[in-house]
Amino acid sequence: MTWLSTGSRASHGSRSSDIVRLGELTVVVSEFLQFTVAGLKSGAIYSLVALGFTIVFAATGAINFAQGEFFMLGGMIGVWLVNLGLPLPFAVVLAVVLTACIGAAFEFLAVRRIGDGDPLRIIMVTIGGSVLFRQAALHVFGPDEVPLAPFTRGSSIMVLGAAIERQTLWIWAITLVAVAALFVLYRKTAFGKAMRATALRREAARLVGIDTSLMVTVSFALAAALGALAGLVVAPLTQTAFDVGAGIGVKGFAAAILGGLGNPVAAVGGGLVLGFLESMTAGYINPLYKDAVALVVLLGVLFVKPEGLFGGTGREKV
Amino acid sequence: MQTGAERMKRSAPESCGKGGEEMGLVRSWARPLALALAVALVVTAAGCSGAKSGGGTSSETYKVGAILSLTGSYAALGTSEQNALKLEVDKINAAGGVSGKKIDLVVVDDGTDEAKAVAAATKLIDQDEVIAILGATGTGQSMAIRNEVDRAGLPEISMAGGTAITATFDKFVFQTPWSNTIVVPFVLEKIAADGHKTIAVLSDSSGYGKDGLAVIKNAAAGAGLTIASDQTFNPGDTDFSAQLTKIKNSDADAVLLWTAGKEGASIVKSAADLGVKQPWYGGSGQAKIEFPKGAGGAAEGFVFGTGKSLVPANWGTDSEEYKVVNDFATRYKAAYNQDPDIFAGHAYDALAILVDALKRTGGKTEPAALRDAVEQTKDLVGFGGPFTFTATDHNGLTTDDLALYRITGESWEPIK
Repeated sequence: MTWLSTGSRASHGSRSSDIVRLGELTVVVSEFLQFTVAGLKSGAIYSLVALGFTIVFAATGAINFAQGEFFMLGGMIGVWLVNLGLPLPFAVVLAVVLTACIGAAFEFLAVRRIGDGDPLRIIMVTIGGSVLFRQAALHVFGPDEVPLAPFTRGSSIMVLGAAIERQTLWIWAITLVAVAALFVLYRKTAFGKAMRATALRREAARLVGIDTSLMVTVSFALAAALGALAGLVVAPLTQTAFDVGAGIGVKGFAAAILGGLGNPVAAVGGGLVLGFLESMTAGYINPLYKDAVALVVLLGVLFVKPEGLFGGTGREKV
Repeated sequence: MQTGAERMKRSAPESCGKGGEEMGLVRSWARPLALALAVALVVTAAGCSGAKSGGGTSSETYKVGAILSLTGSYAALGTSEQNALKLEVDKINAAGGVSGKKIDLVVVDDGTDEAKAVAAATKLIDQDEVIAILGATGTGQSMAIRNEVDRAGLPEISMAGGTAITATFDKFVFQTPWSNTIVVPFVLEKIAADGHKTIAVLSDSSGYGKDGLAVIKNAAAGAGLTIASDQTFNPGDTDFSAQLTKIKNSDADAVLLWTAGKEGASIVKSAADLGVKQPWYGGSGQAKIEFPKGAGGAAEGFVFGTGKSLVPANWGTDSEEYKVVNDFATRYKAAYNQDPDIFAGHAYDALAILVDALKRTGGKTEPAALRDAVEQTKDLVGFGGPFTFTATDHNGLTTDDLALYRITGESWEPIK
């Protein structure tokens, strides 16, 4: 009798501790999922910005340091159009188109004027351009942070205890569509093939009759459009302001380098890995160190594999 | 938005006067735009921020410096402060100035950056030879400019709410907002009174957030609260999933947010999306209209404690405080078409304290005399409440000057 009751108590005890353990496990799993969702959300944004870096790098061999400002312009112009009374979908599309035009105009008016196309000089001009865009946005739109409405309203979708915001689904969908559209453009259309030819060997491309200058302009427009898209799709979650460009520019650049500069698939991979790393650092180490840890990993990867995580031989650039 | 744009347009020629001269050197429009961009870069790097050329010498006017965060995380605060200072200086000058001399206000933007704040202080002291510095907007910036202020021996009247500003005593530094020392216990008491036992704290890693966190940790036990989760974020962060998930899964009954940054709106929005169910509390950092507006409904029911003057009627409509606050609010609204937030009020007070001291020195601007006069401020009714400084208390406000508010719609209402 004694051993029986002891036994039953023991088994009861272990069952409840199983339940506790199961409960803890559920929390652990749901937290991990939540951090993953957050990481892939930021990562998708970094990917779009990194793609912009990659496209311009492929066309010119230079880093476009104004890329982050396209992200800012997309968001600010979008909010401005919504405030003018445009319906959100039109405002988003129009903001992307306008930012693409600004990107093309910037290339045409400033970058193209550098006769020899020296990448170092292009970099200098894009740094100047980034300051110009930021100050212009400050004077036109004012210094305050501004909100954008979510693309679809409604509560988050719960998956195994992790909440996925509807806007996050939009971010993933738009990233996916943008990457697919780029793939089709570059691989399936004659225009895209001309852009790839320009990226591979500009002189040879010019000799077979491709307007290589136009290709460079288009690459800036595309990069600006991608940046603007990222800035617009994330604005409902974070708000936006005239000075958000510099920070996201660094992240996008880091993502492009981490993945392997000059390769669109690598840019997307680099962006997702960077976002994931940041989120895991914030979740399991300390949120205050997330930027630093991401950069340390970046340096580590470059040390071991200078061509980036997903970088190939560097021959096929786009 | 519109007023923001207009404001920037108005201040453009003045703040970028240097830029205009530089650009004039580019003789032909045909010059490569690349050069123009380079010049723009150099000019901006050199800081085109409110440098007024010439102006009266110190004998003709009182040159008063103001270090404000017009850009960066505290842009909303600094902009309100600049509005208030311009409004009051114009009013005083239109009435003939102080002791017959007009005030010449020199505003410098610190970009919510401590290093830039120090550079601004050096410039104001050495180049503009100001008689006093109003600011800075943020706690970190206000602390950072201390060495410069001590060196020059002139009074600094800070508009930031960190406890350290006056608790870490400096004989030259004064403070106009209700500091964390009085606001934190006031809010903690409310949390306890609402029946909560454990709290999660979410604070930023800037001066104001760190300062608040330290006070919260000290005062929580006294209010009968235990801290179940202590989370932090960096100013400028855009994703708070990690912190909010931990708060959601913690034992906390309520969340106390301590930040003055623009991140507050994104935080409560993200919390709603992630299913954080606990009620939210906060302090003076949430007493700005950008918070409920940016949160888009997610801030509904958010309770925060700050000064009574946020809703002037709190003072009772026949009180001296009501008259002062209401007069300022009416004129502010007429000028800018929006109600002043508390940050505008802190700037109003900083200037009022200085002007009051100037009147008592009989217009003498010698730094030591002016500092002494500021310290002798007594029963000066301002926006924050009645100010009385002593040789050991350079804040002079008490819990009696505070009230609780609840966010409703895109505004707030006092909690009875």
